[in-house]
Amino acid sequence: MPVKVVTDSVADLPPQVINELGITVIPLDVRFGEKVYRDGIDLTTEQFYQELTRSKFFPVTSVPSPVTFATAYDKLAEETDEILAVMLSSRLSATYEVAVQSIGLMKRQCRVEVIDSRCAVMSQGFLVISAARAALAGASLDEIIEIVRGNMPRVDMQAAFDTLEYLRRGGRIGAAQALLGAALRIHPLITMKNGLVEPAGRTRSRAKAIEHLYRFAAQYKSIEEMAVEEAACPEDADILVEKLGDLFPKERIYRTKTTPVIGAHTGPGLLLVALMGDKQ
Amino acid sequence: MKPINSIGGQELREMFAAATGWLEKSSAEIDALNVFPVPDGDTGTNMLLTMRSTIEEAYRAPDHSASAVAHAMAHGALMGARGNSGVILSQILRGLAQSFTEKESFTAAELAGALQASSAMAYQGISNPVEGTMLTVIKDVAAAVQPEMTGNDKDLIAIMETVVNAASESVANTPKLLNVLREAGVVDAGGQGLHTIFDGALRFLRGEMEQMRFRKPQIIVTDVHPTKLPQMIAADEIPYGYCTEFLLKGEKLETEKIRKKLEKKGESLIVVGDDSAARIHIHTLEPGDVIAYATGLGTLHQVSIRNMDEQHQDYLEMQRDRGPTVDTAIVAVVAGDGLADVFTSLGVTAIVPGGQTMNPSTKDLLQVVEEAASDKVIILPNNKNIVATANQVQSLTEKRIEVVPSMTIPQGVAALLAFDYEANLESNIQIMTRAMSAVKTVEICRAVRSAKLGDLKIKRKQPIGFLDGDLVAVGESSLEVLNKMLSKLGLSKIEVITIYYGADTKSAEAEQVASDIRSQYPQLQIEVVRGGQPHYNYIISIE
Repeated sequence: MPVKVVTDSVADLPPQVINELGITVIPLDVRFGEKVYRDGIDLTTEQFYQELTRSKFFPVTSVPSPVTFATAYDKLAEETDEILAVMLSSRLSATYEVAVQSIGLMKRQCRVEVIDSRCAVMSQGFLVISAARAALAGASLDEIIEIVRGNMPRVDMQAAFDTLEYLRRGGRIGAAQALLGAALRIHPLITMKNGLVEPAGRTRSRAKAIEHLYRFAAQYKSIEEMAVEEAACPEDADILVEKLGDLFPKERIYRTKTTPVIGAHTGPGLLLVALMGDKQ
Repeated sequence: MKPINSIGGQELREMFAAATGWLEKSSAEIDALNVFPVPDGDTGTNMLLTMRSTIEEAYRAPDHSASAVAHAMAHGALMGARGNSGVILSQILRGLAQSFTEKESFTAAELAGALQASSAMAYQGISNPVEGTMLTVIKDVAAAVQPEMTGNDKDLIAIMETVVNAASESVANTPKLLNVLREAGVVDAGGQGLHTIFDGALRFLRGEMEQMRFRKPQIIVTDVHPTKLPQMIAADEIPYGYCTEFLLKGEKLETEKIRKKLEKKGESLIVVGDDSAARIHIHTLEPGDVIAYATGLGTLHQVSIRNMDEQHQDYLEMQRDRGPTVDTAIVAVVAGDGLADVFTSLGVTAIVPGGQTMNPSTKDLLQVVEEAASDKVIILPNNKNIVATANQVQSLTEKRIEVVPSMTIPQGVAALLAFDYEANLESNIQIMTRAMSAVKTVEICRAVRSAKLGDLKIKRKQPIGFLDGDLVAVGESSLEVLNKMLSKLGLSKIEVITIYYGADTKSAEAEQVASDIRSQYPQLQIEVVRGGQPHYNYIISIE
């Protein structure tokens, strides 16, 4: 029985990848006032940005309930006796903790291991993909954990923001608070280090920010996976993908829209490149 | 959700116990909101400890009536109050207790009434109430529920929702009332703590205990953008004497008389309590006098005298730990308050005033370099006449000094923006120098005398324009000079134009110049910033 792989909606995996590799995705919740949506299921990215501009409430995101996890584990346990969950950074969300605690609520017997990916978006997605591929190829749970841990230092991302206001409101800004409060209009760039948001740079124009993202990717000698994600700025993503075509086959770049939970913390205008590879 | 019509003593206790648990989850974050000189660098912790003492005492209530529990809680709060915020919190609980006297349970309307008493009581103990703090929050909450004081059968959940919403709005508004909060772009820590307590109580009433285990209270954020980093505000502030706190027990204590007596002894005075116990908090230069006076009135308990200078240092360290880990200091030479703000907001460690016609000495630079809390210092001279001075600093200090030879303000800004938190000193110098050369600088000022330079005939007081330091244009108006210069530059590769207008230039004129350029070059991003620099009417960055 192959190992089953679970992740959360923040990994931003494209639907066809989820289907092809048989990955189970647990949605986080997005709340506008009293209205609660399940990330990516009740609320698409397009609807989300409409709601974001329309609603008088500021969106709040929250962790799925332990029951949601336990139910998902139990369902998978009908077909397997080993489950691996790869969750979004525990330093940004309690999702990881809930994923661990929910094991105790399961009705069926099944070995469940949970990994704190220490990242988010497609960096996390690449770890999930590598796990799911290994699972389909027949690797054991311990082997897959080994693979994911080995890949964790190899995933990286950089994101250009229009504003850090949303990140600040959501309390996820970390050391990137140093980029706040500029007396000039700047385009901030952030990255994730050890599971936390950190400053990666700042530019005066959007074009320079895109150039910055390209240079970030160009530091990598070999690239195995690459993704370009955007929140309500598809034209910029097109430009970036064109440029990145120098470094990596364009047709293999995953083009995705960030999920509403991410959008709630970044606001529109987010453009990011995530990759898995090696600098040496 | 089932409506709740009344709350008895047991529920009251459990509700506040849940609220205390909720506060505990964010007390560290609330601590970090503190902005000196708002007293008590540890508001979250102080409020939590006060609440713990409150709940402990609540379990010692003689019976399960709302009255007995509320009075026990108020007593526990007074006995365990820590810091300014804890004392105010104890007053709020005391207001509740007085209102619930002799009541087995209370209704929504009675809670609304009790909150009026809490608000009044909170203000009572304070000799100089400051708005934009916890006091304002309890006042706004009381005002929001005042219409609910009449009528029956109201739902306590609904009224607590009103309380939490009012608290949330009030907390978000605190930076607009208190300048230090505005500068730091944070909300008041005590107000936030109070909101968290109310929010925890509401969640308890809604039966959300299970969800609370996995969630964290939200720290309210403000629309106000910080203009200074917390460590800078703290560094600006001169600490004041000793933070002196104690509990005075005695007979027939007269809090009003004690307050009058102590008012002249210091600042941030709070005297609260009753005739058998009073809690006193004061920032004073002479803690001995305060203690001696109080000893004459009764016995002293839980005496705490803390040197606020040390508190200040601890606070600075906490902020440093929270800030980005930058081991390189950047010192910039800048003239004009607006430009100083620009450089400060982009992360320079220190500013040395100076620029065209007012070059700082090597000694001025050296002093600031020595003061910077880092062994590696990058200097941005921002003027061609200061580069040489900056270079001299290298030989006069043990520290490692690098000069990024910025000749103009726009070059300095471009270099600073490119600074990479991750990179080492060598690569930063490279990155910054490269970024600096990608920007063009236009400076416009008025000619001090008539002259003829090449093809240019210049009359005294006529606007003249420099491109990267070379005099290239003259005209009747600043706009005309700028237009001449822009038409010579190939604008196809240009994205951003930033106009810093000087101390002698009106903002309306600068806006006019900007809108004129905008209409000619609609594809450009144009920004107008008050530079406040002397000498130059305009310094314009073209990149």
